[in-house]
Amino acid sequence: MSRLDAWAKASGEARYVADMVLPGMLHVALVRSAVQHGRVRRVDSEQARAVEGVVGVFTADDVNRNTYGRSVRDIPILAGEKVRFVGERVAVVVAESRRAAEAAAALVEVEYDDLPAVTSAEEAIAQGAPLVHDAPWEYAGAAISQEDGHNLQSRVTEGSLTEVEAALGGAEHVVDRTYSTSSGHQGYLEPQACVASVEDGRVRLWVTNKSPYRLRTQLADCLGLDPASIEIEPVLLGGDFGGKGSPMDAPLCVELSRLVGRPVKLVLRYVEDLTATNPRHPARIHVRVGCDREGRLTGMALRALLNGGAYGGFKPLADVNLHGIEDCAMAYRVPALFVESTIAYTNTVPRGHMRSPGAPQAIFAVESALDELAAEAGLDPVDLRRRNLPRTGEPSSHGTTWLEARGLETLEAAVKHARTEQPEVPPGWRHGEGVAVYVRGLPGPPVTSVRLVPAPEGRVRVEVPIPETGTGSHTMVRNRLAAELGIDPEQVEVVQVSTEELPIDPGVGGSRVTVGMSEALGRAAEAWRRGGGDEPVAVELRPGDSAASAPVVCYCAQVAQVAVDPVTGQVKVLEVLSSVDVGDIINPAAHQMQIDGGAVMGYGFACLEDLFEEDGQFWAANLGEFKIPSTNDLPRLRTVLVEGGQGVTSANVKPVGELANVPTAAAIANAVAAATGCRIRDLPITSEKVFWAIEEESAR
Amino acid sequence: MPRISVKVDGVTYDDDVEPRLLLVHYLRDWLGKVGTPIGCDTTNCGACTVLMDGSSVKSCSVLAVQADGSEVTTIEGLAADGQMHPMQKSFHEEHALQCGYCTPGMILAATDLLRDNPNPSDDEIRDGLEGNLCRCTGYQNIVRAVRRAAAEMTESAAATDPKEARV
Repeated sequence: MSRLDAWAKASGEARYVADMVLPGMLHVALVRSAVQHGRVRRVDSEQARAVEGVVGVFTADDVNRNTYGRSVRDIPILAGEKVRFVGERVAVVVAESRRAAEAAAALVEVEYDDLPAVTSAEEAIAQGAPLVHDAPWEYAGAAISQEDGHNLQSRVTEGSLTEVEAALGGAEHVVDRTYSTSSGHQGYLEPQACVASVEDGRVRLWVTNKSPYRLRTQLADCLGLDPASIEIEPVLLGGDFGGKGSPMDAPLCVELSRLVGRPVKLVLRYVEDLTATNPRHPARIHVRVGCDREGRLTGMALRALLNGGAYGGFKPLADVNLHGIEDCAMAYRVPALFVESTIAYTNTVPRGHMRSPGAPQAIFAVESALDELAAEAGLDPVDLRRRNLPRTGEPSSHGTTWLEARGLETLEAAVKHARTEQPEVPPGWRHGEGVAVYVRGLPGPPVTSVRLVPAPEGRVRVEVPIPETGTGSHTMVRNRLAAELGIDPEQVEVVQVSTEELPIDPGVGGSRVTVGMSEALGRAAEAWRRGGGDEPVAVELRPGDSAASAPVVCYCAQVAQVAVDPVTGQVKVLEVLSSVDVGDIINPAAHQMQIDGGAVMGYGFACLEDLFEEDGQFWAANLGEFKIPSTNDLPRLRTVLVEGGQGVTSANVKPVGELANVPTAAAIANAVAAATGCRIRDLPITSEKVFWAIEEESAR
Repeated sequence: MPRISVKVDGVTYDDDVEPRLLLVHYLRDWLGKVGTPIGCDTTNCGACTVLMDGSSVKSCSVLAVQADGSEVTTIEGLAADGQMHPMQKSFHEEHALQCGYCTPGMILAATDLLRDNPNPSDDEIRDGLEGNLCRCTGYQNIVRAVRRAAAEMTESAAATDPKEARV
């Protein structure tokens, strides 16, 4: 059964936001800050205004001065008195064509008085550091108070450090290591784009955003509008990976359309996507972990310091933090655990969510540290993990007892299958195998809405609130409803409707779509059958309507095989085998692609991706220099599905979208260490780093 | 402004264009062929790949004036008489796409690849598609789809080849 959208996408009929044309539509180009931190002394737009086709040049004085954000509302629509990062929106040109708008934007002259800047999280939290925001605790939704310290977006702690100190004091073996990860980007191929039309007080938007109902609220909060006056239209997204959950330029485009009285369109240039949107947080993570003589973990303290950039408003959680850091030790029994995650304001691009936010960074650190601990204790790394994975019925390190704990089975399956076929290693190269484990919990209780409508010829039309981001979610909806109703999937039509049509949805993200939709479709199908299928059926799941989800988790264990050239340090990742704990699978092809695409993204994070951040700027500002994996980089991928798991909803599902991209970096780092005896603690693992590590090792 | 004459998806267009106009902007903004998307702007991603006289080119790195006198096929013109091209069919059937943004370029690049090498190995397919990035799929099904299309196209070519028919 093929994808619903496969033909449209293979034939060129699919339409994205950048393809939209409205009558009378104007084009927008941005003028971005050239300095990290500065007072805007003067904006001279005289030359820009003279460009043929220019309708207007606007600054912060012309637009709403309220700030916006997904949780903390600290992002200005246009920078006012001061700019806080290279790339921040300072002024904007609206013109009859994109070319005129861009030409004019290049002619806008902005003068700044430079201010001292902080470009790393370490600098930002140091005593006496320059302030990025004078009083960040005053923003609506702020997660910190004045007493917490300066330049903080968020600080979350969990567990007792005193208990961990006591546990580590009595441990037989302890390792104390620091790991770091680079600035990366979601790497969706479709640039961020927005078309806005304000007419007679009615706002209509087509925007590369995956959470339209939240966007409506965020816009209303910022612009002081009635949410009912804002309509977010259905769109198709050209990839997301966490990058398309924020309002981004939508508040600005609404303001511009209001100012010029015509629809406006902004499509970013990809360099803007890479350098000025909401890329991944770089992290420095300090891990201390200890075990007893038998290799049982006794305690772990993990302290993460992340660069959050100039604004916190691109993160959606109320604590303005990343849950992947908080959940870093969830896969194991850790009797004494302390986790601290600090996110600092800096004068760099604001950071946002990327596929399992925080987890790739934290799991790289934890799973690398476990291998280092195993080495210290003289244990096999797989054995160390076997001894510490909780069994069904035992509480996890975070205190929850899950319905089932299938970490051990998942790990054993990974190791068994990985070792049945040894990869071919080039002569003279060294081979290494590395293992890493990740576990992910379920999203909270489902919140969403759907409507079933009778369609001609006995068909059923399902109206959904979520855009198709590329995962195949609409196909999953079709297949699931067909199964619930016992009809041919061809009889089901799936359409995303505008925010006028349905009441509620939190958007795509947090691995929640299949779970939430399955629950809603199960209920809708039941009502549909009861009503005989003649009348529309609407289902609305509000917070509190459903019991908390069963404590279900899904494990993923990966085994990486690498070959390292000891002369040059070149690393070839020969294979990544993913073992995945699953319930039932609605669409096997789409499910498999989440694993394949995830493992390849994990490989990119491990070995290639780096925006080369220096002094608050990214030097890899195009897809030639910011290297995401291409066909020629691919390791061989293998998958083992550990079937028979207990999932949730009548579809018995477990999430898969944010799983296989997480453990890959540690599995590869562990394999490189096994091959060379050299431990790379700083991602990405480049040939240069491995070369120098080997040199250092042999000099010793 | 130079005048160009280009045949795009079977239709001939004569236009006066600025010398600096990129082929991709000519296709999208002048002809409305928005099935050809723009990704990276810097020739790295291959989303805007089209065929120019049968060879794949990244239309963001070709000037419209360079296309003068040539025949351009975009994804919108690949299907003949409402029949999907075997490559489109294979991408459809092998689930070789997700968000779809790289798909037009990927399909056209793969078509050109088979023109040069009708029966490529997996390594040759990977090598041939190196200039087209996909962030969603992990490429496994894309390679499979190209293999399948190659097999189908070889088969149908054999079936219609008069020499073969005589045997």
